[in-house]
Amino acid sequence: MSVARKRLVYAARRLGQAAPIVFGIIVTNFFLLQLAPGDAADVLAGEAGSATPEYMAMLRERFGLDKPVATQLFYYVKNVLLLDLGFSFRHNMPVLFLILERLGPTLLLMGATLVLSVGAGVSLGLLAATRVGSWRDTMISILAIVSYATPLFWVGLMLIVAFSLKLDWLPATGMESVGMFYSGWERFVDIARHLVLPAVTLSLFYMALYTRLMRAAMIEQAGMDYVTTARAKGLTEGRVTFHHILRNALLPVITMAGVQMGNLLGGSVIVESVFGWPGLGLLAFQSLFARDFNLLLGIFLLSACLVVIVNLLVDLFYTFLDPRIEVR
Amino acid sequence: MTNSDGDHMGVDRRSVLRMAGVALGTWLLPGSGLAAKPKVGGTLVHLVQPEVPTLATFLSTSIPVSQAGTRCYAGLLEYNFDLSPKPSLAESWSVTDQGRTVTFKLRPGIKFHDGKPLTSADVQFSIMEVLKKFHPRAPNSFKEVQQIDTPDPLTAVLRLDKPAPYMMMVLSGFETPIVPKHLFAGTDIKNSKYANEPVGAGPFKFVEWKRGQYIRFDRFGDYFKKDQPHLERVVVRSIADTATRSAVLEKGEVHLAGFGAVPYSDVIQLSKLPHITVTKKGYESSSPIVQIDFNTRKAPFDNKKVRQAVAYAMERKFIIDKIWFGFGRVATGPINSNFKASGLYSADVKNYEVANGLEIANRLLDEAGFKRNASGVRFEVTHDVTPYGEEWQRFGEYAKQRLDQIGIKVTLRYEDVATWLRRVYTDYDFQFTSNWLQTFPDPVIGVHRMHHSASIRKGTVFVNNTGWSSPKTDELMDKAAVEPDAVKRAQLYKEFQQIVVDECAITWIHELEFPTVYNNKFVDIIDSALGVLGNFDRAHMKA
Repeated sequence: MSVARKRLVYAARRLGQAAPIVFGIIVTNFFLLQLAPGDAADVLAGEAGSATPEYMAMLRERFGLDKPVATQLFYYVKNVLLLDLGFSFRHNMPVLFLILERLGPTLLLMGATLVLSVGAGVSLGLLAATRVGSWRDTMISILAIVSYATPLFWVGLMLIVAFSLKLDWLPATGMESVGMFYSGWERFVDIARHLVLPAVTLSLFYMALYTRLMRAAMIEQAGMDYVTTARAKGLTEGRVTFHHILRNALLPVITMAGVQMGNLLGGSVIVESVFGWPGLGLLAFQSLFARDFNLLLGIFLLSACLVVIVNLLVDLFYTFLDPRIEVR
Repeated sequence: MTNSDGDHMGVDRRSVLRMAGVALGTWLLPGSGLAAKPKVGGTLVHLVQPEVPTLATFLSTSIPVSQAGTRCYAGLLEYNFDLSPKPSLAESWSVTDQGRTVTFKLRPGIKFHDGKPLTSADVQFSIMEVLKKFHPRAPNSFKEVQQIDTPDPLTAVLRLDKPAPYMMMVLSGFETPIVPKHLFAGTDIKNSKYANEPVGAGPFKFVEWKRGQYIRFDRFGDYFKKDQPHLERVVVRSIADTATRSAVLEKGEVHLAGFGAVPYSDVIQLSKLPHITVTKKGYESSSPIVQIDFNTRKAPFDNKKVRQAVAYAMERKFIIDKIWFGFGRVATGPINSNFKASGLYSADVKNYEVANGLEIANRLLDEAGFKRNASGVRFEVTHDVTPYGEEWQRFGEYAKQRLDQIGIKVTLRYEDVATWLRRVYTDYDFQFTSNWLQTFPDPVIGVHRMHHSASIRKGTVFVNNTGWSSPKTDELMDKAAVEPDAVKRAQLYKEFQQIVVDECAITWIHELEFPTVYNNKFVDIIDSALGVLGNFDRAHMKA
């Protein structure tokens, strides 16, 4: 079998194995959510500030909350198999549409964060590892630790105060300028400007991880036999570093990035909250307090599926990166 | 899709210079600019918290839904700051037959946003087929209405079983939106698509909703009030983080925030900025009060003296000044002092806000048989903190410290909204909890539900959860509900207030004042008792 075909078979098998996992996730989440006291009718009536008993009974009947739990689960699973994620009564919209609306901004933020954090992390790790113990190395290590330890919401707010309020270089919140209704290139630039601060905030945290990891991996690789051999062969330091050490050191970073991508797909509640970024994280967070279970389960399902797919892609990517790793 | 009129909602250099130039000009020319008609223009960005779930004000009265949805819908009447009614969709009305018949005459030529005319058939349909069936409060507010006759397209006659003086107070576009019959009739109203794409007769029409980002409402050119509205556009945004909300108000990216969207501490700071104005007006139709509910079903709060002791221990002025940053007025009972003008409010009740409150509290607890033990503690209780904001957490902490001084050991309990509602209104698994209630433009709507025996309904929220009631107060409330004579009504409510304040199943702390923060390049936004729940049709940019 050719390598390409092997990869396809492997992917198909992995996806097949993932199906029962995802199903298990749906059922577990469903029962976990039932543990929360209070239901969506309580919350809606609570927000109304008052309600008649008839109104609350009507809400419960509409939401299907008056049926036994097993029945509710059965209908939910049945619908999911038919690709119907249900209806969010709080928003009066199908769950699928709500999620798709917010998926784009989430992916945008996640993508930007990934590129920025991996790019910066790898670069800084490289810079630190090539001059271990130097002033440069110490500064980068300190930067990494400070970025990791500082709370995201504080960083976000400070960036807003500095770059938006005081310097007025960048907008404070949102994904697009309200009321401007740009299109084409102008819209691209507008969104890019709004993306800068949230992406930087979120990246700082992950960048710290990748920096440390990259640095450690490179130092480890630099002590290996093949590096000595390469130098003995007469290769320049630059070629040894970039062509040999870097590629090997990247493997742990890719693993970590793959895991983090699964996290990021759930959105970052804190960053979305501070910057008003219309992502899935904040939606999920609010849905929990609103007991909007249909929406919450839909987001969980989507996250689970995406994590499965991303893990698979990362595993396949390894085989490209390192010829020693075989698909079995 | 581009907006080519160059409208900027932010503060940019050119518009600032322009406004400065105009301001200078108006200052130099005395008397000018005052009589000029406000010109059309401006985009008002309104911050609403928490995020708006739907725009169906005919199905939900939740505060975020109402703040956004009231742009589109109009009602029969509007209300001045002193709660006196004035014409809106209805140009005149009359109450006859000893309060059992109310006739409304609509203005001619009113159009919905889709161009179709608004007639009495829409009024009849909205109240009888939509609101009475699906609205959280309308079934109570309109319970006396048996039918609505529509002898001609501009006349609606409400026929009531018994007089309902409170009904005249709930006819705003917020509480009773008039929806188009031609779009709703025969459809599944509970799941209507117009929930999120509203069509009404209000000054702004719905344009688009980008969830998580903004809701856009544009000026409706055929609004029934000539030359209004003045604003070009209203945009609603939600921002989850409190500090960010204050930041964007300061920056001028948003222009309006009410109902506690900005924390009190930040309000004080923002009010010092030249481009920000803070007002406490606009909550007269809501009239909220902060209170403590006692569960009278179990010890120790089944004992009236114990409840009164807690009431005496609370220093209301201190709470207002230190926890609510000076926003609020000491409450004396269940009816808000906003009702002083109508005579329904009475201050002639037992006064718990006295200088020697702690002394009296200690004495009452001794009399009730709860002596202090060796460590000075009389008994232990759990206090539930209502989950609507940080102020209540501080209030819980204050209550704990204060009650410690009279020998009551308090454990605080914090839960989220759904859990707290379940505990306090379904399971009744609490001893005493902080709470705040809107008392609405008439006691029948807002106050009766906390005291009437018929309002003890397990599973329904914001009704009688203390379990206390009495035949005498039930009788007083039932009589006051149908009493058309204002003086007699005031007398009934005076007696009612005296009894419930003395019985102390609830003790009232202070009347909430929500500050509304707005950018003062806009004026006349808050111009009625509804405040940010009003229709904004007179709002405009300063010349």
